[in-house]
Amino acid sequence: MSDVLLSARGLEVHFPIRSGGALRRTTGAVRAVDGVDLDIHRGETLGLVGESGCGKSTLGNALLRLVEPTGGTVTFDGTDVTALGRRQLRELRRRAGMVFQDPFASLDPRRTVAQTVSEPLEVHGLHGGRRERTARVGELLELVGLDPAVADRYPHEFSGGQRQRVGIARALAGEPDFLVCDEAIASLDVSVQAQVLNLLRRLQQQLGLTLLFISHDLSAVRHVADRIAVMYLGRVVEVGPAEAVGTHPQMPYTQALLSAVPVPHPELERNRQRIVLRGDVPSPAAVPSGCRFRTRCPQAFEPCPDVDPALQPVGPADGHLAACHLHGVVGTPVSREDDVPEGPTPGDAARAPRDAGRERR
Amino acid sequence: MTAPVLAVEDLRVQLRTPRGTAHVVNGLDYTVGPGETVAVVGESGSGKSVSVLALMGLLPARTATVTGRALLQGEDLLAMSPDRLRQVRGPGIGMVFQDPMTSLNPVLTVGRQLVEGIRAHQQVTRQAARARAVELLAEVGLPDPQRAVDRYPHELSGGMRQRVVIAIALSNSPALLVADEATTALDVTVQAQIIDLVERLQSEHGTGVVWITHDLGVVAGIADRVLVMYGGRCVEDGTVDDVLERPAHPYTRGLLGALPDLAEPLSDGRRPDLATIPGVPPPPTDLPAGCVFWPRCPVRGDARCETEQPPLAFVESLSRATGSSLPHRAATWCGEGAR
Repeated sequence: MSDVLLSARGLEVHFPIRSGGALRRTTGAVRAVDGVDLDIHRGETLGLVGESGCGKSTLGNALLRLVEPTGGTVTFDGTDVTALGRRQLRELRRRAGMVFQDPFASLDPRRTVAQTVSEPLEVHGLHGGRRERTARVGELLELVGLDPAVADRYPHEFSGGQRQRVGIARALAGEPDFLVCDEAIASLDVSVQAQVLNLLRRLQQQLGLTLLFISHDLSAVRHVADRIAVMYLGRVVEVGPAEAVGTHPQMPYTQALLSAVPVPHPELERNRQRIVLRGDVPSPAAVPSGCRFRTRCPQAFEPCPDVDPALQPVGPADGHLAACHLHGVVGTPVSREDDVPEGPTPGDAARAPRDAGRERR
Repeated sequence: MTAPVLAVEDLRVQLRTPRGTAHVVNGLDYTVGPGETVAVVGESGSGKSVSVLALMGLLPARTATVTGRALLQGEDLLAMSPDRLRQVRGPGIGMVFQDPMTSLNPVLTVGRQLVEGIRAHQQVTRQAARARAVELLAEVGLPDPQRAVDRYPHELSGGMRQRVVIAIALSNSPALLVADEATTALDVTVQAQIIDLVERLQSEHGTGVVWITHDLGVVAGIADRVLVMYGGRCVEDGTVDDVLERPAHPYTRGLLGALPDLAEPLSDGRRPDLATIPGVPPPPTDLPAGCVFWPRCPVRGDARCETEQPPLAFVESLSRATGSSLPHRAATWCGEGAR
């Protein structure tokens, strides 16, 4: 049995941009996920962070084929996910669950909690009879800290935190090995976020789950994750043990991101050196050549536009990788023919569909 | 001491709802001095947003009952005629809301929206107003303001849109800026840019700022003083150092405990569980008698908790220990702040 549960190689999700004319010709592509290499180890929590529009949600969806990858491979427990047929895909979705951001939108308002949580059981033909299913729903609700007596209630009768627990119970119904939590605490109040974070950690230990915890909240990610992956413009640019990435980030983007996270200590806040990045994230429809962070990087130098940096070992910690030429120029030279235009104009950014819009769907 | 820009006295807001009368704000008192930033923090439903909407006369008159006084440079906002209020919004109060997409008009260019605000309050020609609009966009750090002025909101990113909203709010040099979750929808890197911007403009113009947020990290960075709201009441207020470093109310302590503290050491490679506040905030239609926080309070035990509302009292032992001359108050029967 391999230590790696899920692994992505060169994963790409490109969305075509079509012209407005009658022919709807493809005029370009939004490179939401653009060559991601990532391993998720069995039993770990991998935190995936990045700004809105960086492709982190699309990556989470592509790993479970909730959006179809346009290139690269995803291997789940030895099977190539990208080659699965419909029936096998159903089995994958039993073994890999998803908890969504908005517990108000991800639960059907016209179905009771019991109906919502038992649907995966029916779909996957688990716990055959109705009575067994009811018992299983009760178990699941108890597991996530809800009173089984609430099974016959509707989502509107619950608070945000309770709804998110229902969403987690549904995701656990098929006894998955792997759970993707996509901004699962983003819409909750601080005190409720803490409850859900604790719950996820407890479940992981109790059930031996592997978690992909996608969030823009770096403090929360550093709290729950064993390892952290940082995404920028469709690419994983740094990955490593949570402590190493959190305390000794090796890539200027991660450094800027971490320095921007406010902490609730006035003294620290007054004295901190904040790296304020200029400008906005370039449009994923016009990715800068070479290192994609170079247009905002305070330390960019000669090789950055010409060589697309590959992940390379950095820092003292084991398994700490960063894609940055400051640690030695490693990567693929940019061929001048298919060079992308220098930096996007603001108009491009506006026309390209933003990842953020899809996250809210 | 200079006169406060804003003095709120015993502000109360009740909303009529199908489920009965909601007591959303229940007696709020605070002042904002020139150049001072007061942060109002609390979870959703604590009444923090409604309290400022009430000040600005933005609550529906049919369902909302607002009482108390809110003196903006000595003049009571709550007693103003609608016409006078319209004159005050702009040069008196500028507002920045959470979602820059919904606070801008999508069918008008950025320039039109700025010019409209300027010409509503200043006797200037269209050209002069437009020139001022370009200036303002440059001031809030929009690249290429000459072109940006002719753009529509959808052509700008979230951070750029929020800069435009701030430019509009500042276009009439208000005495008071109210920011309601102004950076909540933005990424941390953009949030840092916006906070820098507001702080710079504030120090240049001496604007008083009311900053409403649920993010205690943001509060630590921008606030001079903090007001913690729960169940429509102020449960603790004081300087940012007093409230965040020496919280006296069990709710404030709970909130701070619920945040992942990265300074904390790891126990065998894993971080300890976060402290949680059990339960959920009470609905404003059915607030508990006594201390609003007692049903969730981990240290309740005083006989008065369930029956008697604790007054906002000075936390003397703590203030004296730090030698701070600024008041630090908490409304609780329990803990060090209790009488």
